Amino acid sequence: MHHVVLERWSRRESTLHCRDPRAKAVALVIFLVIVATTHRSFAGAACAYFLLLVALLVWARLPLLAVLARAALVLPFTLVFALISVVAGDPHRALLLMGKSYLSALAVLLVVGTTPLPRLLRAFESLGAPRFLLMVAQFVYRYLFVIAEEAQHMRVAAASRGASASPAARFRAAAGALAVLFARSYARAEAIHRAMLARGFEGRFRLLSVLRFGWADAVFLLLAVAAPLAVRLALEAGA
Amino acid sequence: MHIPDGFLATPVWGSLDVAAVPAVGLLVRRAQRGFDESKAPLLGVMGAFVFAAQMINFPVGIGTSGHLVGGALLAITLGPAAAGVVMTAILAIQALVFQDGGVLALGANVINMAVAGVLAGYLPFRYWGAGKWRKPAIFLGAMLSVLVSAVLALAQLLISGVAMPASVLGLSLALFVASAALEGAITLAVVQALETIQPGLVPKPQARGSFIRGALASAAVLLAVVGVLFASAQPDGLEKLAQNVGLSSQARVLFTTPLADYEAGFLRSPWLRKATAGMAGLVLIYAACVLFGRVVSRNRSS
Repeated sequence: MHHVVLERWSRRESTLHCRDPRAKAVALVIFLVIVATTHRSFAGAACAYFLLLVALLVWARLPLLAVLARAALVLPFTLVFALISVVAGDPHRALLLMGKSYLSALAVLLVVGTTPLPRLLRAFESLGAPRFLLMVAQFVYRYLFVIAEEAQHMRVAAASRGASASPAARFRAAAGALAVLFARSYARAEAIHRAMLARGFEGRFRLLSVLRFGWADAVFLLLAVAAPLAVRLALEAGA
Repeated sequence: MHIPDGFLATPVWGSLDVAAVPAVGLLVRRAQRGFDESKAPLLGVMGAFVFAAQMINFPVGIGTSGHLVGGALLAITLGPAAAGVVMTAILAIQALVFQDGGVLALGANVINMAVAGVLAGYLPFRYWGAGKWRKPAIFLGAMLSVLVSAVLALAQLLISGVAMPASVLGLSLALFVASAALEGAITLAVVQALETIQPGLVPKPQARGSFIRGALASAAVLLAVVGVLFASAQPDGLEKLAQNVGLSSQARVLFTTPLADYEAGFLRSPWLRKATAGMAGLVLIYAACVLFGRVVSRNRSS
């Protein structure tokens, strides 16, 4: 399953992995804004942004081709709208849609691939996001694949019991399976909560290491903002 | 429909991000009133359930199948505020880990699905959930939740200038209605199955609304959906109205003056000027939000 890949990537070691997650989060948002607001001479700017991201990916020692392929997950959805734009007589917008959505996904992957999710969520918390929401998000991520595996088992079981019944019967069977899954998830959540209380949970998760924003992080943030900005200004001055 | 980054015009995603911050803050506060902080595991695991539910296919006729979206089911079982928090968490995880929906567009997706979708999904249940209209209420709520989210997303794309021929627009609307009806049928079937295997898990709202009020509220939501769609398909109409009333010139002055001084003369590039003004605005809004939050939380705790 592909989340495991992301877990492996984010726990590698590189200069980029060591940066404070707050610096990466802020740099990501600013980069996304710069990409989103580029309209004139987009093709050139897009190539420059792409090269910048590729350089960072290499620097972070992430598997380049795998990351590029994973970012392409956005493309099927985008392609539909790009085609609609071309049909509607707006090919420039089709280019904008494809370029911007791919570059944005790549930038997000760069940050998520170099930062373990708990650290990233803690960075959001110290930037002002509500802690309760982030705890819920962390639980979603933690149990996502546990519950999905349970659903997978139920699907196999249903198929092996004979899935050739009438559509109405299969519809009812699927609804029954979901209801069972719901009730089991509910019970599992209560068990998890009791186990957490038994282990002395005090209302917040602890990180193994404290977040520290040092000089290197400040320099990284400055460079990460300055580079795309410089590209853009240079291109706009030339145009 | 999760909107990726790059689809929405800057004013659209910007304003929706700004709107989503207090909305999510309110949802979190309401959700914590019902569930104390230590109940976070319940909401998280139910979010994981919504993810996993996509793997169970429901047959819809020849060869095709659909799956549960889940906003209305969560709203009915956990309450609207908690369901909104769960959906927001799911959207954040999807944007970060699965490249499904953008980060800048997260505000738009949250408003569409976690706020408007969940509230619309809960509305009929709130009024009719206790009486003999319970089943239609669940069906209608799930239908409304999908319809509202989809139409809002479509409207935001249209306002952002993504051109769509009328035939494509009509086709996607028909698809929305069909998938909304499917969501209604799935949600109703799951709730009924849930009530037979574990009675009491699905709460009954206190009967506080009359039939008329419920009907009025649902009709209002439907009308709003249709109105939003028309308005975004022809935004010129609104602009013309504003011009006729003389509103738009005044509004423009009102919107630009506060940051006009920030357009410092030494910055030659028009874009850089705009960007600095925009960034200054963002920082101001961020500071205001943090300050407001501090003041409110201090007042609460004292």
